[in-house]
Amino acid sequence: MVDALTVAFGRFTALDSVSLAVDPGEVRAVIGPNGAGKTTLLDVISGLTKPVSGRVMLGDRIDLTQCSEAAIARAGVRRKFQKPSVFPALTVRENLEIGCGPAVPGRARPARIAAILGEIGLGPRARVPAGSLAHGEKQWLEIGMVLAAEPALLLLDEPVAGLSDAETAHTAALIRALRRPDRAILVIEHDMGFVEAVADRVTVLHEGRTLYEGSMAGARGDAQVIEVFLGR
Amino acid sequence: MGEPLRALLALCCLALLAVPACAAPLDRAAFATELCGDGAAQVRAAEGLVQAGGDLPADDLTFAGRLLAALAERRLSCPADGALLLDRPGAPEGHDALTGALRPAAEARAPVLGLRQRAAVETARGTVALLTGPDPAARAAGLAVVERRIATVPAALLDRARDAETDAALRGTIAGLAQAAALSSPDPARRRAAIAAVAAAPSGTAQARLTALKSDPAYAADPAFRAALDAGLSQVRRAVAVGDGLAVLYNGLSVASILFMAAAGLAIIFGLMGVINLAQGEFIMLGAYATYGVQEAFRRLAPGLLDLYLVAAIPVAFATVALVGIVVEALILRHLYRRPLMSLLATWAVSLFLVNLVRVTVGTQNLQFVMPAYVSGGVPLYADFVVTWNRLFAIAFAAATLVLTLLILRRTPLGLDIRAVTQNRDMAACLGLPTRRVDRLAFGLGSGLAGLAGVALCPIYSVNPSMGSGFIVDSFMVVVLGGVGSLLGTLVAALGVGGANVLIEPISGAVAAKVIVLVGIILFLQRRPEGLFAARRRR
Amino acid sequence: MSGAVQTDRAPTSGPAGRGVRDPLVTGLVGLCLAAAAGLVVAPPAPYLVNALGQLAAFAILAVSLDLVWGYLGILSLGHGLFFAIGGYVCAMHLLAHGVAVTGVLPDFVQFMGWTSLPAYWTGLDHAPYALVLALALAGLVAFVFGLASFRSRVNGVYFSIISQALVYVAMLLMYRNDTGLGGNNGMTGFPLLFGWPMGSPGVVTGLAVAALLTLAAILAGTRRLVGSAVGRRMLACRDDETRLRTLGYSTTRLKLGIWCLSAMIAALAGILYVPQVGIINPRVLAPDLSIEIAVWVAIGGLGRLGGAVIGAVLVNGLKFWLSAAMPEAWPFILSGLVLLVVLVLPNGLLDLVALRPRPTWLRGAR
Repeated sequence: MVDALTVAFGRFTALDSVSLAVDPGEVRAVIGPNGAGKTTLLDVISGLTKPVSGRVMLGDRIDLTQCSEAAIARAGVRRKFQKPSVFPALTVRENLEIGCGPAVPGRARPARIAAILGEIGLGPRARVPAGSLAHGEKQWLEIGMVLAAEPALLLLDEPVAGLSDAETAHTAALIRALRRPDRAILVIEHDMGFVEAVADRVTVLHEGRTLYEGSMAGARGDAQVIEVFLGR
Repeated sequence: MGEPLRALLALCCLALLAVPACAAPLDRAAFATELCGDGAAQVRAAEGLVQAGGDLPADDLTFAGRLLAALAERRLSCPADGALLLDRPGAPEGHDALTGALRPAAEARAPVLGLRQRAAVETARGTVALLTGPDPAARAAGLAVVERRIATVPAALLDRARDAETDAALRGTIAGLAQAAALSSPDPARRRAAIAAVAAAPSGTAQARLTALKSDPAYAADPAFRAALDAGLSQVRRAVAVGDGLAVLYNGLSVASILFMAAAGLAIIFGLMGVINLAQGEFIMLGAYATYGVQEAFRRLAPGLLDLYLVAAIPVAFATVALVGIVVEALILRHLYRRPLMSLLATWAVSLFLVNLVRVTVGTQNLQFVMPAYVSGGVPLYADFVVTWNRLFAIAFAAATLVLTLLILRRTPLGLDIRAVTQNRDMAACLGLPTRRVDRLAFGLGSGLAGLAGVALCPIYSVNPSMGSGFIVDSFMVVVLGGVGSLLGTLVAALGVGGANVLIEPISGAVAAKVIVLVGIILFLQRRPEGLFAARRRR
Repeated sequence: MSGAVQTDRAPTSGPAGRGVRDPLVTGLVGLCLAAAAGLVVAPPAPYLVNALGQLAAFAILAVSLDLVWGYLGILSLGHGLFFAIGGYVCAMHLLAHGVAVTGVLPDFVQFMGWTSLPAYWTGLDHAPYALVLALALAGLVAFVFGLASFRSRVNGVYFSIISQALVYVAMLLMYRNDTGLGGNNGMTGFPLLFGWPMGSPGVVTGLAVAALLTLAAILAGTRRLVGSAVGRRMLACRDDETRLRTLGYSTTRLKLGIWCLSAMIAALAGILYVPQVGIINPRVLAPDLSIEIAVWVAIGGLGRLGGAVIGAVLVNGLKFWLSAAMPEAWPFILSGLVLLVVLVLPNGLLDLVALRPRPTWLRGAR
């Protein structure tokens, strides 16, 4: 799906000919040290950053690098940001309603919102403004917002950063529950235990290049990967 | 007697053309006799003097001048032999014109000038006054007389007057007159030479003068004249175009310098804190008022050093305005860093306050500044291009400011802190940088730069309480175009905006220039929303 | 992330008066209607009627700015432009109407040596056409400028200062005498309004009532808007535009729509203002005046429709009174008021008055 992407900021090359393919039904984790280009990769897929060269194909026909962020989202791509991005002035319910996206008709919304409130466990707090939620609750609300549109490709940027162990376990369970045959999930994470728990395959990025692609167990055995993560 | 004299003079003239150093003396007796002769002889004498005037020794000219004055004032008496100069018309005795001896003038004839003779005599007197007048005023008066019959005056005479002239302005006038005379001379060769001479010193007036000659009958009749004029004219046109181009560049550079000075502080503050300082124009105004204060202090305390006040004002204005900026930062903006739009309103309130404070305490009138020699006048450089000192002062000032600011930003600990906080405030804070203190000092630096702009403006613009509002929109455009936090971007944008304004203005007017620049900036931002020099950043 | 880019964004701190529940707006609408009725039944002195009408026009202008600033996070420092477009078209209508009835050309037309009104004035003596033209022109200018800005993601203070440059350039343009719009003297001496002599008590009262009723209608309409799904999207866009975009919404279209609506409301304010003061000139395009509109909103309470109205009425009421009583002191008072509000009362004077307990949804919002 991602084909020979190159992204540069000034003279700094953030991504250098990175390619990877995520299949529907798969949970793929992208790991790598700081500055490896993980977030940049998500930025390109969700349209926030335009690459110097390369393509991002969704299915066979849509090249996401040619689309605006809104068009990418309407094509079924949703992203959860690293820093929880919810709308503080709106209530939980209103956040989820906006999360449904412009395509979902008004009549279908209440049922879907109710279902998601149940899934993310924020039902009792539906009328609370999102700005006053706890950090973990914000993370779940945001996951709920991106789920509300039933995305075909879900991008999760460090969904457990700053969460307690219990919250991390809860989030891992949530993500495993999200797995569906027609949905691809791309997770970026530092927490190896979490990655092992949710991911089918991992891609290791280092300094803008793909270092390894395969199972988590294979990654643990790969000499280069070990050197990058533990060496120096 | 007259014919030989004329022949002699003509000969002498010819000789002079070959050997300019030759100076034949005047035949004084013959001159006196002719003035005492009939009307034709008088005219001959006067015109002969004018023709020979360029080559006669000074004492001969003085002699002739005395005689001509006496003749014109009816103080010339003509006995049978020689001529007498009387003290007053009708006096019983007078001094012999040649020997100076006192002789009775009884029975002698006192010639009266006819209209035609009077004109010739006046011209001759003017020639003498022009060449031997004791002061510029007398010589200028002589020139005015000569000018009336310029066609009869030989080139050599004007050349001599020009070369001998000590007064620069009068010399310029004489040279211009000589050129005009040569251009309208009946002698085709002289005219062509004159055209070449005019073309060699190109200017707008030279171009006008030559263009006027195109309607001269000779232009249609004489191919040589036509060719010479066309060649001269195209040469002048080219040079004037180049000179005007240089003048536009120079003007644009000086406008850009002012813009840069006004925008540099704004850009530093904006880049660092995201604060748009709407009071920056008023900080410039305060800088100008501080300069005025320094001038007044010099006037009271050290009048002899008054000319140096502009130099002394540089540190004073910087420090004063920097202090005002630091106070504003500490009292107001410190609380508003997370609310940039509110800080914008707050700085507007500050500007409103400062304008009215100055209005109430100092008054609304324009301040009067003494212009030291180093910011008045200028030197003509090429064609009509004059390098004026006041604009050069502003350009040099801006260049010095640029270098100094770059040095501060690149080479001092404060500069390092400012750059660090500009690029990543949170990280800088984590590393233990006192970001609040850096903010305050940087705000002081940015304000101080506005104060310096105020100093540079004093010799060029009028200084009054509302002067600041004239810069604010333009300097914001510069900051937007240049990109956040890039001094280099500010410089290039200032050059671009200043240059565009100056270039477009003569073609389509000042308002159109502003409209075009604004539209250009909006279109530019379509392609590069972050300005010229801002690096692409990650979200 | 750079500090500058971060602070470029709209403030996330502003609360928002939301939806049909805002009792302040209900109260103000009722007050407008009551005042209008009072003017008809028992009109006070004409100058008071006139002042009330002008205040209503300013309040409409303030609401138009609050709509984009308070709810969308876009601070326009060029709203005077749209106000002026309405005002100028209205003045043209009044003059053209006068020419059509009396046959006498306005002074400035005679001054330019013209024997008739310029061609583009054709049809302006018909009020409906003038109204449509004013709104369409304001909308069109807003659309072109907004499209250029929003499409290239110009926002925050960048947008503010470019909009300021826009109104500044418009001012320079209108100061020219060859535009056919009165040059630096502007347009004045309007003889008639719908055939009635200008300045007669009936016309004065009628204008004030029209301004009050329009204000009431605008308040009711904008309250509906901000309480709707679109209103929620506006707040979402204000607080995190990128987030909203990555959820599939075209924020450019949203911002552009509200921006154009706001411009047309401002033009409406101009239309109501000019016949009440009897003059329009390029000074309404001075950048300072446009900033003052933002000051009214900030003083009254940003992001509350009622706050905008209160700010506009308060500041302009004070200005009417003080600039006559002590003109020297007014600028100092105004700047002091602004500093007081931005430093101490971040939500404007509504903080001070505390008309009602802080609603729960506000407590968490920073």
